[in-house]
Parts: sequence; structure tokens; C-alpha cells
Amino acid sequence: MQKFIPSLLVAAISVSLSACMQSEKQDEKVVLNKNPYPSTYQVIPSQTVLIKNATVLTGAGERIDNADVLMSNGKIEQVGQGLSADNAIEVDGSGKWVTPGVIDVHSHLGVYPSPSAESHSDGNEATQPNTSEVWSEHSVWPQDPGFQAARAGGITTLQILPGSANLFGGRGVTLRNVPSHTMQGMKFPAAPYGLKMACGENPKRVYGSRKVSPATRMGNMAGYRMAWSEATEYKRAWDKYEADYDAGKNPEAPKRDIELDTLKGVLDGDILIHNHCYKAEEMAMMIDLGKEFNYHSGTFHHAIEAYKVADTLAENGNCAAMWPDWWGFKMEAYDMVQENVAIVDAKANSCAVVHSDSGTTIQRLNQEAGKVMYRANENGFDIKPEHAITWITLNSAKSLGVADKTGSLEKGKNADVVLWNQNPFSVYAQAEQVFVDGAKVYDRFDEKYQAKSDFMLGQK
Amino acid sequence: MKLFKSSLIALALASASSVYAESIAITNATVHTVTEQGTLTNATVVMDNGVITAINPQTVTADSTIDAMGKILTPGFIGSMNTLGLVEVSAVSRTRDASDKKADITFDASTAFNPKSAAIAYSRKGGITTNIVTPRGGEDMFKGQAFIADLSGEYDSIVETNTAVLVDIGSKSKGSRALTLQDLRNKLDDAKTALAKEKKEQADAKKDKKKDAKEPKRDEKVINALLAGEKPLIAYADRATDILALIKLKQEFGLDLVIADAGDAVSVAAQIAKAKVPVIIATIDNLPSFDALHQSLKSAKVLMDAGVTVAFKVNGDTHNLYQLRYDAGVAIANGVSQEQALAAVTANIADAFNYDAGRIAVGKKADLVLWSADPFELSTRVEKMWIDGVEHTTESRQDALRDRYTTDSDMPRAYTK
Repeated sequence: MQKFIPSLLVAAISVSLSACMQSEKQDEKVVLNKNPYPSTYQVIPSQTVLIKNATVLTGAGERIDNADVLMSNGKIEQVGQGLSADNAIEVDGSGKWVTPGVIDVHSHLGVYPSPSAESHSDGNEATQPNTSEVWSEHSVWPQDPGFQAARAGGITTLQILPGSANLFGGRGVTLRNVPSHTMQGMKFPAAPYGLKMACGENPKRVYGSRKVSPATRMGNMAGYRMAWSEATEYKRAWDKYEADYDAGKNPEAPKRDIELDTLKGVLDGDILIHNHCYKAEEMAMMIDLGKEFNYHSGTFHHAIEAYKVADTLAENGNCAAMWPDWWGFKMEAYDMVQENVAIVDAKANSCAVVHSDSGTTIQRLNQEAGKVMYRANENGFDIKPEHAITWITLNSAKSLGVADKTGSLEKGKNADVVLWNQNPFSVYAQAEQVFVDGAKVYDRFDEKYQAKSDFMLGQK
Repeated sequence: MKLFKSSLIALALASASSVYAESIAITNATVHTVTEQGTLTNATVVMDNGVITAINPQTVTADSTIDAMGKILTPGFIGSMNTLGLVEVSAVSRTRDASDKKADITFDASTAFNPKSAAIAYSRKGGITTNIVTPRGGEDMFKGQAFIADLSGEYDSIVETNTAVLVDIGSKSKGSRALTLQDLRNKLDDAKTALAKEKKEQADAKKDKKKDAKEPKRDEKVINALLAGEKPLIAYADRATDILALIKLKQEFGLDLVIADAGDAVSVAAQIAKAKVPVIIATIDNLPSFDALHQSLKSAKVLMDAGVTVAFKVNGDTHNLYQLRYDAGVAIANGVSQEQALAAVTANIADAFNYDAGRIAVGKKADLVLWSADPFELSTRVEKMWIDGVEHTTESRQDALRDRYTTDSDMPRAYTK
């Protein structure tokens, strides 16, 4: 299982006095660097901005009419009526709507970029069923023009996931949707990593066709269990090393394994599970799998049949990320219902998320959520815009583990804001201005705020 | 060749599952005719025997009358460039009949059309009453022939077969696009030469009365129909150079050319307009490829402003055909007028395939949709729809699943039916 053993282990010297008091002389403590590719994201220069007299959906379930939103120093300063601020740039929001920046928990921008080209097809390390050692951030092409298109649709934060060919596809990374010529320049500071897992048809098709396990769904489960079992041993070895070291002994550090580092990160609670898993019976098993190996089963993506297990998802604290209406392309996508998101959402303690998995629909995630709201309301639900917006803002932030930083217009949170020309749940809705950390990153009417990728520059 | 169902009404009546096609008057409707009549308010539309028999008659006589209460009535929307009824589940090979390695220019997939596909009832939710099905062909540059089916879900859904020839032009993952264009030109040129020769031989045969001209083969007949302008040639092409090459072929050989996808059509919009070539585009395709670097959400508007006739199709999987009206809405948000968008999903599609539908006028097929509000808006739904004058529901398998899982029961769900 060990594939990458780096020659340079990151070492840290324990300089505590207590160590000197031990009888046994200790070697330098081996500490795994959890953040070797740190964010270099810099907030774009901004000023204090006050949006006046808009219809505000806070993302936390509230709607405030004729409201103002004040952003300063990159944070939400205040949301309410009749606000004023010295030296603020005032934006007339009359007739317009304001929401938190839209968050997509499932994107392959940068790893499957436009133009579609073999040279840039970097999303699926489909070489063996467990590639927990690969990190999607190492595949991101920051010049993907799709990032700009998504920004024009109000996307301020997005998780870039590896593909679903493998049982363990590798780590996902959460990005700020700001232009940068490096991945690190987009990386969301202090956002946890995700681990992409995949249920069902994809892994068994990819490997079964090569006469390699898994070839069946039971093969899928066996593959997960063997990996988690090994990861449990790996974690135990490291935990013992740390405990022994802290007890003043001089233990030998376990041999490092880059693949198991990621699984251990999940078991340690540092990395969140993002599980491509369509079917009810599979989600139920993946929840049990998490319990068997003592980690949380996280967010189910493409959860076409989540409505069948809505209770189970809510009881176990799982988010389900869903499309409003994609279906029919595979057997596991055959049982779509247009009210899926609403049925999941209706349970207490639920976490319903609308995601895209598409460079096209990511540009209109607001409309994707709108479709669910209207279809559900035609069939017995009573969902208001102030609630539907949570599916693409606060719930998405929860799924990604960044809800303390973004996802709602609450004082002190990052000023990630979209000004819409009208109700965002209209087919005619367009983002007019988009802010990330209080900085304007897009303006529909000002070319100065319309970034262009290197690839598109100078094309005739 | 045309199997208009108005002539097959007796057959429909014989079928136990068919609804009796009584005459229906829809009153007090806002009727978007997609004709020079424009939009009629407080209007009455009468249909009988599958056709529209009257608009705003002096006196209304019908078996039943529906008060539209001012709501919008449009022609049924027309889907195109997809495999509806040919593919049930895309990844399940035994449910796929849209392609075959050996398929050639004569490939007619209409015999494989399954009117009971779950995708058909679902697509009615989008107000789609008719679909132009386009098989995917095989290794040949010609991908077979389009056929027209209605969305009644009945076994007599096929309206017309061998409607248009499909050809795939443009970038190749193996080889050069130049060879495809060369092959297409050669085929047309050879057929033209053969026809001229045959004509001469026929003339000579009359003179010496010795030999009859030999019957052309099936594939040759199809090419001849293209040369006669009897059958549209639907060419998938994106790059401007390919579009211009096709326009040249149209002019040289008198083709009835339509361009589908047309990603970089915006770069040569004036030439396309001048050549009177309709284009069929997905309005939401705006990400660049090397063949379509300049497509954007404004493509539809740019093309229409240049005078090009534009029809809309959905992007991606056939199962999402119902989204056609939303994609038209996106075009409106990006500058297209409501009237232009409506024509792009009705009359313009029909015209591109030389099919007499997509308009509300006396004598036209009674494919109609009554909407709860603006047909393109997300919050709107189909209130009623008629195909050949027969009302059809928008209920689908998806509704049954939803109801099962939102109905409380002490028994396992499987008992809720």
C-alpha cells in the first residue's frame, strides 16, 4: 500500500524542558506537516461598501426587506435597515436582492477545465481503487475560464474534488473563487480538506472491466473496509508513537505513508468525507461503515435517492448534496424525484445542499435551487426563498466545514456577497456584483471587474 | 411519408387507453401564435380531430370549453437533437438504440423508438409535445436520419421518418477534419455527376431505346434527395471555418443546410444570415473549446441580431430535455425577446426540419400548452397540454416515487402504490 515515501520527513524539535528531565535521551520528534501547500490567498484591495434598500436573504433563514448590508475590512459589519457608514461606497440595491456568496460543494473546475483537452484531464487518478494519496489541488489549472463564468454566477467558494472512478479518489480542496495564477493563491485559508469516496457503479465498472477488484458492490465495501482497517492500524501506530514520546520515551516513528496520511486525517477528524453515493441502500451502509471505523460519513454527493433515507441522513448528521433534476444517465440515477432536496430538507437537523458537478450549471446554482423550491411547493411544501437560499450557502458551508467563516450574512463573517438584479430564484436573475472578503471580484456592468483567464487572452 | 395522426383518429379511438378526441374550445387565453398574428388576448382557440379548427370564432361550439382565465397558451414546444425514446438509461447498453457501429446515411432508428420510455412523460413537464429524434450513428460521418415523434406516449407516436440527414463535421480525436469535409464534398460531387450522367443516358435511351438507366442504391437516393433540396442536411459543426465550408457546399450543391451546435457561429453570423442557414444551439453552452472559443450566453442574441434564424436545443443528456424552456429563459435574460425565444423552441425548430408545426393557426396541428404563467420562468408549470388535440398529463414515474416517499404509512414503502 505504501507508494510514496518522501525522502524528507518534516521534523520538528521538541524543546520542552520536561523532555530533558527524562532519563532516556530523545531523538527529534517526527511531526507530520498537515499543511505543506499553504494558502497564499490575498484579499483583493477593498473599501467599505454599503448596499442600500435591497431585499436581503441572509443565508441563515432570514429575509429582510428594504435592508442594507455593510461590509468593511472584509467582513460583514451589519445587516439591517437605515444603516449608514462614513466613507462607504454606497450601492443602490432598490429592486435588487442580496444573498451570501454562492458555494458549490462539488466542482471539477480546474481539474477538468475548458477547453476539454487530454492534456488537462487531471481529475481521475483511475489507476487503482484507492488513491487517497492524490490531492485534487495538485491538478488544478487556475486558468480554467470556467472559474470566471462561475464567478459571474455568484460563486465565491467551491470545493474541487477528484473524480469518482476510485473507491477513494483523493483529497478535495476548497477554493476562493478569485483569479490567481497559482492554486495556493485561491486556496481557502484554514478550510479542512475533503476526502472523495465513491459508491456504486463507477468504481466497480472501472476496475471490474480490468478484472481487478472491485467488480461488484460487495467488492466496493470490501475495498473501503480493508483500507479503513489499515488506516486504523496506521493511526494507532502514530498515536502510540506520540504518546510514548510525550511520556519521555524515545520510540521509533512509524514509516510514513502518504496514502494512509489522508485516511488517518479522516480518523483524526481533520478531513471531511465527501462521498459520491446515489443510492439509498448504499448511503445507509456508508453511514454504518463510518461507525464501524469511528469516523463521520460526511456529505453524500449526487444523492439521487436521499429522499428515501431522509430520516437516516438527518439522524446521523449527514449532509446530502443533490441536483434538482439530473437523472437517467446511469441505473443509480434512475429514481430521481424533483422534490428530493425538499424532502431531505424537511427533516429536523437535516443538511440539504444543491450542488452542480458541472461547469455549466455552477453558473446558475441559484436557479437549480429555485427549481426545487417551486416543484416542491406545487406538491405540498411551503418553502420560502429565505430558506431555499440555505441550500447553496449556509448548508454548503457546513458541508465543507467553513460555516464559521462564510455562508451567511452575519456580523463578523467573511463579506462574501452577491447583488442580484432581482429575485435569484428567477430564470432571469443575474448576479450584478460579487464580493469575496469584501472585495468586488465581479461587476456585470464594469469590465474592470471582469477577469479573463490567460487562455482566453488574445484569442482571435 | 407523413403520418399525420389527424388521419389516424379512428385508430386512436380503437385504442382503449386513448382519450376520446372531443372538440375542445379554450377561451379567454393569451395566445402566443408564433405567426404574424402575434399575441392575441382574451382569445378562443378551438380544436377538433387533432387540428386547430378556429381562432376567435363568432360562436363557440365544442364538446367542452376550458376557461384559460387569461393564462398563456403556446404551441407545444419542440425538442430536437436528442435520443428521446431511443435511450432509457444511458449507461445500460441494452436500453440504448441510438447508435450502431455499422450505421450509415440510411440509418433509420424510428423502429426502435419506445413511446413508453420514462423520459417521455417526464419531458412533457417541460411543455414538449413533439421531438425530433437524432440518432448518433456509428463510424460513418453520416449519423443516420432524424425522425419526428410526438410525446403522447402512445404506440402511434412516430409522425415522420427519414426527416433529415445528420452529418458530423469538425474536430476529430483521430485524424483530420479536412478529410471529412473532403469526403462530404466528394460524395455530393460524385452524386451530382452521376445524376447528370443518368439524365444524359435517359435522354440517350429515349433516342435509341436500348437500355434503361439503373436504379440508384439506397444511400445514393439519400444523397440525391439532399442534392434536390428535398431533405435537410443537419451538420454538427462549431468552428467558423467549418461553418463557412458548409455554406459553400450549400451554395454549390443547393443543399437545405442546417447547422447544429454552431459554437463559433457568432464569429461568422453575417455570412450565416446571408446564406439563410438556420442554426440550432444550446443557449447555455458558453465554455470555450478550441472549436468554439467565442460562444457565450449572448450567442443567441448576437446571432438573432445578425438576422440568423435560431432554434434552441438543450445541452447535454436527453433526460434533461424538459429544461428547454429554462434554457430559453436564460437566452431571454441575456437579451433575446420573449417572442424570439418562443419561436426558437417552436416554429424555428419545425421550419428547420420542414415540418408543419410550431404555430397556432387554423389548420395547424393541435399541439398546445396552457401555462400557469410565463412559460420560461422557473416558477411556472404546465397546466394542461394537448397533443393532436388530445389532452395529456404531465404525471410521470418521478411523481409516483415522490408520493410513495412522502406518504406516511406503517407498512414498508413498497405497499404504497
